[in-house]
Formats: sequence, C-alpha cells, structure tokens
Amino acid sequence: MVTLVGLETHIQLNTDTKAFCGCPTSEGKPNTQVCEICLGHPGSKPMFNKKVLDYALKLCIALGCKIENEVAFSRKTYFYPDMSKNYQITQFEIPLGRNGSVKLKSGKVVEIERIHIEEDPAALIHDGAIDESDSVLIDYNRSGVPLVEIVTTPCMNSPAEAREFLNELVRIVKYLKIFDERTGVVKSDLNVNIEGHPRVEIKNVSSFKDAERAMNYELVRQKIALKKPGEKKVHTRAWTGRKTTMLRLKENEADYGYIIEPDLPVFSVSNDKIESIRKDVPELAHVRSVRYVEEHKIDTIDAEVLSMELELAELFERVAAEIDPKIAAKWLRHELMRVLNYNKKSLKEVELDEQHVMEILRLVEGKDISERTGQKLMEKLIDAPFSPKEYVIREGLMLVGDDSEIRFVCEDVVKSNEKAVEDYKSGSEKSFNFLVGQVMRITQGKADPAVVNKIMKEVLG
Amino acid sequence: MMDEFHLFNHRVDSSTGKFKFSVKDSICTEDMPTTAGSQILFNYIPRFDATVVERLKKAGGVCIGKTAMDAFGFGSFSVNVGLDKEVPKNPLDKERVCGGSSGGAAGAVALLDENHIALGQSTGGSIACPAAFCGVIGLTPTYGRVSRYGLLSYANSLDKIGPIAKTVKKCAEVLEIISGADGKDATCVEKEKGFSEDIGRDISGLKIGVIAEAFGEGVDPEIAEAVRHAAGMLGEVEEVSLPITMKYGVSTYYLIALTEASTNLAKYCGLRYGVEGEPSGVSFNDYFSSVRSENFNKETKRRIILGTFARMVGYRDAYYIKAMKVRQLIIDEYKKLFEKYDVLISPSMPVIAPKFDEVEKMTPMQQYMMDILTVGPNLAGLPHISIPCGKKDGMPIGMLLIGDHWNEKRIIQVADYYEKK
Repeated sequence: MVTLVGLETHIQLNTDTKAFCGCPTSEGKPNTQVCEICLGHPGSKPMFNKKVLDYALKLCIALGCKIENEVAFSRKTYFYPDMSKNYQITQFEIPLGRNGSVKLKSGKVVEIERIHIEEDPAALIHDGAIDESDSVLIDYNRSGVPLVEIVTTPCMNSPAEAREFLNELVRIVKYLKIFDERTGVVKSDLNVNIEGHPRVEIKNVSSFKDAERAMNYELVRQKIALKKPGEKKVHTRAWTGRKTTMLRLKENEADYGYIIEPDLPVFSVSNDKIESIRKDVPELAHVRSVRYVEEHKIDTIDAEVLSMELELAELFERVAAEIDPKIAAKWLRHELMRVLNYNKKSLKEVELDEQHVMEILRLVEGKDISERTGQKLMEKLIDAPFSPKEYVIREGLMLVGDDSEIRFVCEDVVKSNEKAVEDYKSGSEKSFNFLVGQVMRITQGKADPAVVNKIMKEVLG
Repeated sequence: MMDEFHLFNHRVDSSTGKFKFSVKDSICTEDMPTTAGSQILFNYIPRFDATVVERLKKAGGVCIGKTAMDAFGFGSFSVNVGLDKEVPKNPLDKERVCGGSSGGAAGAVALLDENHIALGQSTGGSIACPAAFCGVIGLTPTYGRVSRYGLLSYANSLDKIGPIAKTVKKCAEVLEIISGADGKDATCVEKEKGFSEDIGRDISGLKIGVIAEAFGEGVDPEIAEAVRHAAGMLGEVEEVSLPITMKYGVSTYYLIALTEASTNLAKYCGLRYGVEGEPSGVSFNDYFSSVRSENFNKETKRRIILGTFARMVGYRDAYYIKAMKVRQLIIDEYKKLFEKYDVLISPSMPVIAPKFDEVEKMTPMQQYMMDILTVGPNLAGLPHISIPCGKKDGMPIGMLLIGDHWNEKRIIQVADYYEKK
C-alpha cells in the first residue's frame, strides 16, 4: 500500500529583531519585548525588516528554488486570541521561492513546492493541559517573530523518510546560520494518507520524533478505517502525544479571505541582490562530505560527521590544509567530538582556537606526544584556551624518542629486577609487562610503549 | 455662537501654543481619547501621537480636540456615529449635515476662528465632502505624501490625511508641516515639497479640463452651473471624459475599501483595548462576537459583512481581484488626461448638504452614490482640493480641483487664484 506524506514546516528565523517592528527576538520576560506594532494597536503600521528577506532568500537559493523578483505580502484573516490584529501578515499569491528540492542520503529528492515569509502569532500559555486549563495567558514577545514556511509536495513515502527530510532541512538552515536551535522552534503540519484514504492533516507537531510517531499512528488508523464501512473525508487532526484526534473536516476550515497587505508596498528583489546573497550561501553538507572523500581520501562516515555542522566542517578544512587530513579527520571527528559530547557543548559554544588544536595534532603527527597525552590536552582545551605546545614542554610531556636512552633504562631495569627476568625467561608474560611498566614509570610515560616493548625484548635476548 | 460640542468627541480649552488645531478622531493623540467615532474604542487613549500630530505639535501647535466623524469613516454625512456619540450639525444650518466622514473637522473650521486648522482623513472623499458642505477648504494630498502612522485604518491603500482650513494658503502651510516620510509608514515617501511656491503666479498658461460626466445626470443642475461658471473664471477650459472612472468608480471604490476595512476592523474584539465584555464561561469566538455585536453600529456591521463577502473564496476573484484590476484602469485613465492637462475640475458633491430627514430617507445605495465625484481621485491617489464656489439655498457649493500625482503645488496655485478672485 502506497503511503504519501507532504509537510508544511514553519521555521523561526534568527534575526535580531522582529519581522515588522524593531522589537528584539531574544528571550525575555513575558510581554516585555513588544511595541504598538506587534501588539496590533490601532494606528500602528508594519515596517518590513529586510534582514528577514535576506535570510529567506538564502534558504530559497540553498534549496534551488525559482525566486520571485517581487515580494508582496498578504493578510490572512481569522479570529484567534494569539493574533494581535486578527490577521497574519504572510505571503499568499506569490511565494518568495518555488520549485526547490532537498536531497536525502538515500538519493531521494524531496520536492519543495513553495517557501514563503510570515509572522509568528503570540504564544498562548495554558495552566496545565489545554483542555483542563480554565485560563490562558498570552505572551506577545513571540508576536511578529519572522518565520519561513516550507511546503513540500506529497512526495515522501514513509514517516521515517519525512523525519529524515526534517533533519536534513534543519541541518541546512543551521548551516545557513538563519536558524538557532537553542532558541528557535520548528513546527510542521503533516499531510499523510495511504492509498485509498483521503488526505489527513495533523496540525502543529514540533518534535521530529513525535512527527514520525504521529504519522505512524495515523497510517495504522487509516488502514483500520479503510476496512470499516462509511465515507472517508479529508480532515484535520491533532497529535496529543499518544494518538491523533479529529479536529475538523476540511470543508469546515476557515476561509481566510486573503487580500493584498495594503500597508506594505511590493518590494523588488533584483538579480544582483540574489547573486550577492548567493555568495553568502555556503557549500551544503552533502556536497561537502562527497568532496572530503574525494579530496582527502578520508572515510565516508568521517566525512559525513565532519560536514554535519558548518563550524566543524570549516575547522576541519582549515586544519586539513596544514596537517595530514587523515589525522585531522580522525582527531576532529573522534576526539574533539568525544570531548564536546562529554561536556554537552557544541563547537559554537566553546572558545576554541584552531591554532591550539593544530598544535596538538602536530605533536601527535610528529610522535612528540602519545595519543593519550593528545586526548588529555584536547579535554583541557575545551575548558580554557592555552598553548598545548608550551604546556607539553613546560610539563615535560614530550615522548622520550631516543632509542639509546630507552635502552639504557631497560638495561637498568633488567639488572635490578632479577626475579622478574627469571620468571619471564620461564615464560611469564606478566613479568614482561611488569618490566615494561617499570621503564614507563621511570620515563614518566614519556616513552612510546611500542618502542619500549621492542627494545626490552632485545635487551632480554 | 452656537454650541460647538457636537462637532467634537473630545474637547479641551487651551490658550497656549502658536496655533490651534483639531484632529479627526481616527488619528491617534497620546493625551486624548481616540475612538474613530466608534463605541468599541470607548475612552481608548493611544500610547503615541500620530506622525501628523507630532509634527504639528513640534511646529508649535496645540491640539484642542478630537472631531466627530462617521464611525471608522463609514459615511458621507457623519450621521453613522458611534452608539455613544453625538451627530455633528452643520454650523451654517443646524437642520443639515456637516458631510462626512470628516464632518466634525469641517464643521469646526467653519465655526471656529479663521486660523483654526483641522486634520481630516479621506478614503473616498471624506475631506472634500464635508469641506464642500461646510463651505471651507479641504486638501487631500497624493497617496503616500503624508504618513498614515497613527491613523486608525479604514482602507489602507486609500487612506490619506489632509488639512481642512478657511484658506488655501493655510492648507498649503499645514501640508508643508505634516508631509514627508517618517520611517513608520512603508507607503509614505519623501518627495519635493514647496506647496506654496506657485501661489500668485500667472495661471494663464495652464491647461484645465472639466470632467464632462460630472455635470450630468445625478448632479444638481444649479451646482453644475455654479461650478462651470467658476471654472470659466480660470481661463479657457476644455471638456474631458473619464468614462471608466465615472461608470465603475463607486463600485470599485466600495469593493476595495470595504474589503480592506473588514480586515482592519478584525482587531477590535474587546481583548486588548477599548470596551471589554464578560469573558468567563464563553468561548473566545462567542466573546469576540458579543463585544463586536454590541459595540459596532449598523453601518459598520454592514461594511464588515460586505467587505468580508467580497474576499471569500468563490467571490474573491469576481469582486476583490476584479476591483483591483479596474482600479488600475481608472489610474491609467487619469494619467492619460494628465499628459495633457494640469488640473481637472468637477463639482465636489452632487448636492448641497442635505437635511437630516432627507438623509434618513436615503437607501445605503443612494448614500454610497453621493461619493461618485470624489471616489475617482481617491482611487487614483491623486491630490485634490475642494473650494467653495457659490451657494444654493444659502448653502455652499464646492468645486473640486484635481491634480497629477505629487503636484499639489498646481492645484494650490489655481485654488488660491480662484479664492482671491
């Protein structure tokens, strides 16, 4: 049975100020980041924040959309307590971008029908669960925060595929630096149906895991529904966290009575403007990872992980220009990521000087320090910046590289541990490890264990 | 002096300031109630002054009150006032209307001392109409000349704030102060000013057209005659024709204006400002409905319903979208005439100020047809000025001079010439 999934996804853009007024978009106490415009006071008029256009254009370009040379806004009118004007400024007739696409790892191409700009309504805060709360508070700090809505065609064939698309989409907007996952919200309306059942829309799901679960639930529900008699109708449902519930039939949907937003002129988007924005659009993750494999001959999985976040990818590229890319890949992907994950931090959040990272890698590359020392240094580097090279010299952490020195220590250890030497000769592996351990102790871990092993064997004959 | 208070929704006494002005009640004043003549905004005091008010205050003016109007600008006689408001009476004849919707504004200018300045607002003729009925000067600027920031919108693509005063020169001076971009209205732009520059200059080289259709059926023959005579005093005039405008202007105007109005008025729901109802125990929808039902007057409801209808799926293309297209044809029709003419002339209104009992007998359609001569320049965003040019039954007749976009200077020059002659 064929499954069809199409998504309408709203993503908050991380501009400093709101879409149609100068209020900040950062977090604040409820109803403190408001003005007469985002509160919809009589007489106030919207002024368009052009940064919003730049951000939305970035996305349109990155997804290969056909871009309109004119930006016109519309009013979508409906009554709801979170709407300060009881209409929302959005784009209706002419969306900013059309006919784009997102390529998934499987090779599947998700078609983007349209991308448009609109404003977020205020936030409704219920005391407990919506249906149990007897009051609601309205926080207008969110009123007027810019959103882009990305509408796909019903081209996806499973909830898992839709979830993968959402992950990829968020990776892209993070890459473009138009979305901040720490403060921004992504919400989707999920259009889903199995063959033979009319389309059902599940409204307003924000976590991707929930989106997948909601769609899986709905598909099973539709399969069962098809076996029962009675006409199946296009309708809208809500996701409660456990199941989908009927909201309304499509034919009872509000008619939004769209009109052209008469408070705003039509803004032109010149081709020069589009080209100048295009210069700011970075190479996307999936293109980058393929290039890393080709250029640096690193593992595909390493390349994919390294390209996942723009900051990491850019760090890798700068490091790989100076140091063996394979060492760079290994150390950034495994060690740096390990340390970041352990500290529950992202690369953006730590004060990391790439020169310091390169110092560690150079020391490892030249076998001047052991890998263990390198790991320790990386852990330390996340806390506060310092020069690993100076630190290693100051603390005497350099590996003892001179074979004759190690041989001298080995001979000394053999002389003063006759019992262990005898045991070794009668076949005790443990005694050998003991002897090597003594050498490591005397050299304070600065000798390369592999070299010590080799020389100790030679000394013992 | 007759009692003036029916002309105001709010009035204060003031003896300070370089000059005194009044403000139509649809324009925000931070120290006075601003209700757009409606009950739903009972005692609403904005947090800010409209740009026009701010600029007049900065120029040394002091605001003495908020003038009466048809609620939200919905009317041509200022009889559709809020349920809690008084209807303004024409200072020249208390049995007659002031005109609308800036009725109180024009009435105040007619009644108060000769230096009084009133700020009015026109969407389809709400400055020219009351100016004509009260025998004063009403100047409606080019759309985009004056910031609408702080104007309670009727129809945003049509709304224009303009001055009403006793002389053309005073109107020009006020426009000089209030016009120009303020960064708060995206449709307002900065253009060359100098509105009084050509006052006193010879007008004999100007090409003047009289709009043929504006003197025929539906227009009081005595008014037609008076305006023709006045136009003749300006030199040689030619007959011109605006067939599309005169045939489709009123329907185009009402479709666009009411469609926009129906979205603008959605915000008045008793939630954030203005009157409040009793919210407990009812859904938000029922709450909004009850506040709106109880506090909007009949004409407001009529216009919201008509405007909402015209933008609904299935009707939108036939009404709203089509009207937008016809509006462009009307603009083109005027622009073609302005390739050849400097000023176009018609009567301001087809009748003199009617008596209250005459208005009561009119159907809504007859009332809407009162705007037939003013909707054209308003739809096209063209500047126009109404000046008195004679009387009938002791009541003033208004002549409308229409200029090309951004050329207020020209109609001011001609109007001043006529005024002094």
